[in-house]
Parts: sequence; structure tokens; C-alpha cells
Amino acid sequence: MRNRNEPKLTSLSASLRARTVMIYVVVGLLALLSIFPFYYMFINSSYSSYHILKQMNLLPGTIKQLVMNIKSLSGHPEFNFAIGFENSLIISTAATFLSVYFSALTAYGIKVYQFKLRNAAFLFIMVVLMVPAQVSITGFVTEMMSMNLIGTKWPLIIPALAAPGTVFFIKQYLDSSLSLDIIEASRIDGANEFYTFNRICLPIMVPALATMAIFSYVANWNNFFTPSIILSRLQDKTLPLMVYGLYSDRFTDYGQVFAGLSISVLPLIVVYLFLQRFIIQGVSAGSVKE
Amino acid sequence: MASLSLQHIYKKYEGGVVAVSDFNLEIADKEFIILVGPSGCGKSTTLRMIAGLEDISEGEIYIGDRLINDVLPKDRDIAMVFQNYALYPHMSVFDNMAFGLKLRKLPKDDIKRRVSEAARILEIEHLLERKPKALSGGQRQRVALGRAIVRDPKVFLMDEPLSNLDAKLRVQMRVEITKLHQRLQTTIVYVTHDQTEAMTMGTRIVVMKDGFIQQVDSPTELYEHPVNTFVAGFIGMPPMNFINASIHVEDNVVYVAFENTTIKLPARYSIPEVLDHDGKEIIFGVRPEAITDDATYVSQHTVTGFSADVDVVELLGAETYLYVTVNGSLPLTARVDPTTSQSRVGEVVALAIDANRIHLFDKETEQSIIS
Repeated sequence: MRNRNEPKLTSLSASLRARTVMIYVVVGLLALLSIFPFYYMFINSSYSSYHILKQMNLLPGTIKQLVMNIKSLSGHPEFNFAIGFENSLIISTAATFLSVYFSALTAYGIKVYQFKLRNAAFLFIMVVLMVPAQVSITGFVTEMMSMNLIGTKWPLIIPALAAPGTVFFIKQYLDSSLSLDIIEASRIDGANEFYTFNRICLPIMVPALATMAIFSYVANWNNFFTPSIILSRLQDKTLPLMVYGLYSDRFTDYGQVFAGLSISVLPLIVVYLFLQRFIIQGVSAGSVKE
Repeated sequence: MASLSLQHIYKKYEGGVVAVSDFNLEIADKEFIILVGPSGCGKSTTLRMIAGLEDISEGEIYIGDRLINDVLPKDRDIAMVFQNYALYPHMSVFDNMAFGLKLRKLPKDDIKRRVSEAARILEIEHLLERKPKALSGGQRQRVALGRAIVRDPKVFLMDEPLSNLDAKLRVQMRVEITKLHQRLQTTIVYVTHDQTEAMTMGTRIVVMKDGFIQQVDSPTELYEHPVNTFVAGFIGMPPMNFINASIHVEDNVVYVAFENTTIKLPARYSIPEVLDHDGKEIIFGVRPEAITDDATYVSQHTVTGFSADVDVVELLGAETYLYVTVNGSLPLTARVDPTTSQSRVGEVVALAIDANRIHLFDKETEQSIIS
């Protein structure tokens, strides 16, 4: 006898399949949109400026042209990869470390300690999150000038201490994954507050810290606005500033510019590959039972 | 090991909420004290005040002779086992257990010896390299116990440590913690809302309600002589039957009347406290096991006999629960012997109360009349 449910099941599975296909199409399109600019950048670094301006290139050019573009970079008076890389590396690494560590401390404080105005403090951090950096730049530059820090790396590193977005993200992560009992267990075991934070809480936060470190590193590495105001001498410039230096009023070699851009983002890919393995879910699994 | 003294302890929160009121308790060295009560009764707050995880609003706590009100948790020489284990997720079992010892800068050999010894006692030697996520619930709780044991603290604090385990494992761990206490001979303060745990594990039980101590006694005393209806109803499963009744005294003999039944109490109840209640309403308490449907007993104890309609019969193997209704309005529970019980649902059954095991409570104060 024919099962009455059979046609129903078949139509259900067909509709599920159609939905899955739809999801893949949408996700695929989004992935393409994200990847294409990078692909276009890498492809164009193997073309001459003439070919780039003439047409849209979708396939790789020649290795010879790529090498030529890279070689031409080293001869450019406004571009020095070694110096730019070193400056970007120092600024991005220091700023990322400071922003992630101190944001974690702040989020931990708000999560773990009961104090008056705790919610107000968190709200204030959220309000700061809404204020764009450009709004305060005049005051910031004036302050840096008065402190004689213009032209140094400090104005690009120290402000990273206050990263409201990172605080918010880590706080939300702690809300879902840190049991206060673990902190109390550590206190009873004999640890002081700082030791508890560094040895117990930080390892639990690693997925959130790694995620925020990636965002922070990318943002600092690509930061153009503030460094362009603070840094002016070639030996102080970061890679994005140097790439900008490749543009000229008279003639811009776009093959050279794309090669410069490609080289400048390569370290970011390395950082991403290094950090993404820490973004694993469930690091605290088994620690407490909810 | 040490004694513990809690003197006039209060915990008051902002907004006027009082979680613990005038808590006084002397805990002797090596005693296994259970704090038991329903949710929100202040038992965990009291434990957390002993641990130093909550400030004490008023009163004094001493461990041994040392006042610890303002001593940090790490300096109180206590160990605590949490309900949800609270293991450090990124550390191996060995490191979890050794954490407190490393902080005290003990020599490595000593740490290894202590952890191995605790692991041997708890039978978790083969798990020392594993992370908490690779352990079952029971194993995690053993590690949490191990972390406390290795410290060799003056007082163990346990906050509902078995609540997250399944029923079978809970029974097993209950026995193991009791054995551990016998072996370690240490002072334990144990919080639970489970009266079975309280009755089976503690040397003394503190029953709490709304932040107040109701009674502090040994399990037997608590069961046999509850001071009020709350303790009487909280301890014992199924709970005690409470019956609105009145007392009548004739020729110095006490009678308890409820519904259309009157039962005669033995001569030992003819004491002034009871006689004073002549003609007054009281709460008559009878534990389910003090009511029987055994035909021989019923025929021999007609003065405490009555009849009831059987609503439900629950067969549990070793015992049977009868849910009956007296006079169509008074529900009672009886725990009877399944080998002799003939009671069937829908029948009228003859029951008798063991008058030597009854309780009388004042209707207004709900305190026991018999001290």
C-alpha cells in the first residue's frame, strides 16, 4: 500500500533542496563581492598602467610585468617597503596589543565587579563608540602638538588603549562564556585579582581576543586618516601613506600602485591566518555546568 | 582543621532586602554541617559569607580563634566546591588541582605528591592529563573535590555540589563525600536544598527559611522532633500530613479530633503543654509511615483508627504510597508495606495512626507544642 505521507515528504525535501540552493547562491554572491576587489588588485599588479587604464582585466597578466612593477617600487622616492613595513608593524602590533589587553581589562571589570555606576560606565563607553574619530581630530592634534609628539608613533599607539567597540564585544562574549564561579574559585585558591585576570580569565577570552585582534590589526594597518596628519617624514610613514605617495599630479603608474597595495596587504593575510585558528568556539566547554 | 563560629550574622542588601538574619552557629572541629532550606532561604549567602565572597553586614565569623570578617578569601584557608564545578577550562585536571598549591609556592615534588594522593582517593588518576571538557559530569565534580582536598584547608565549603548530577550519580557521590569526610576528618559546611542529602550526610543539620535558622539538630532529632511545621514539612519524603484538629481532655486523657474522627493519644502526651490546649485548635502532624493499613495493627489500635477513600496507590517496590481522603475532604498520604497492604483504588480502607509518632503544633505560632 502506498504511504499517504510519501508525496508530502517528497515535496518537503524538494522545498528544502530549493532553499539550500538559494542559500548557496546568495552566500556565493556575497563571497564574490568580498573577494573580487582583492582579486582585482592582485591581477592588476601584473599589468602595466596602460593596460589597467585601457580595459578591465579579469585574468592575470605577465610575471615579467609583475616583477617590473615591484622593481619600480624600490626606485620610487616616496616608497620604501622596509621602512614602511617596520613602521606599520610597530604601530599595528603595539596598538592591537594595547587595545585588546586593556579592553579585556575594562570588560572584565564591568562584568566581574559590582560597583556604583557600573551600568552608567558601560553606557558611557557605548556613547563614546558612537563618536567618530574625525570629530575629535582637531583637539587631538592640538594636544599632541602641545605634548611635542607630532611626527612620532605615540599618537598612533597610546589612544588604542581606549577601544569602546572592543570593550563592548569582549563584554558580550564574557556575558555568555564566563561563569563568575570560576573567578571566585580562583580567588579562594589563593590568586589575587590581577593573577586571576591574566591566568584564568584571559585564556577563556582567547576567541574574543583573537577576533578583536584581527579587526584591530587590520584597522591599524590600513589606517590612513590619523597617520596622514601625524606623520610627514618618509622614515616615519606607514605603508598606506607610502602607497599614497605613489600617486602623482603628473603621472601615476597604476601598475606600481597596485603592486604597492598588494605588497602592503600581504602581512595582513599572514596575521589573519595566524589568529584565525584561535577563533574556536567552546573554549570554556566543560568548565562549568549551566 | 578548625572549628567555625558564626555570631549574629546579618546580610542586608541595598534596598532593604535582608537575606540572612541573626545567624548564630557554633560548628565543631571535624563536624559535617548541612545548611538546608528552600531557594532564597539564605543558605548559599551564609556559605558565601564564610568563604569571603560576600561582605558581612553585621556579626562576626571566626575560623578557630581568628576573626575573619575582613580577611580576603585567599587568606581564610578554606576550600570551596561549586555547584557548577567551576573548573579552569584551559587547564588539565592536574593543573586544576595544582593551581592553589602553585600559588602557595609549594615545592614541585610536594605538589605532585599531594595531587597524586588526592587523585588516588577520588579514583581520577587516569584523568590527570585531560581537560575538563573531556570529562563526564561526575568526573568533573571529582576534580572539583580534588582541587579542594589537595589544599588541606581548615574548612571545606560545598555549595550544592551534587545538584547538577543525575540521580544515580548523585547517590554515588553522596556516599563518596561521606566517606571522604570520614577519611579526611575535616570540618565541612555543605549547602543543599535536597533534604535527602541533608539527612544522609550531615552530623548536624541547619534548617533555614527566609534568612532565619529554624532548627539546628542531628538528622534523627530533626526528623523525630521538628520544632515547627516548616521543619516538619521540609524534612521527610513524602512530607508530613498536617491536619487541622482540636484537642479535648477528659480525665487527663488527650483526644485529637479531626473531621468526624477522634483518636486517643497515649498517656505520655498528658503533659501540661498539651493539656493547656484543651478545647483549642491545633495542627496535628502525622508522618506517612505513622499511618498504616495493616489489618492486624488496625484491629489492635481501634482508638487511633479511622476510615478513608483510596484515591491513588503508588507502588515503589520496597514501599507503597496511599493517597487517601478522609470524610471526602481531608487528603492524607500513608506509606505502607506492599507485602501486607490490601488497599485498592476506589475502596474504603481502614487505617490506624501510630499515636506514639504524632506531632502537635500550635495553630497560631506553628511551633511544636511538645518540646
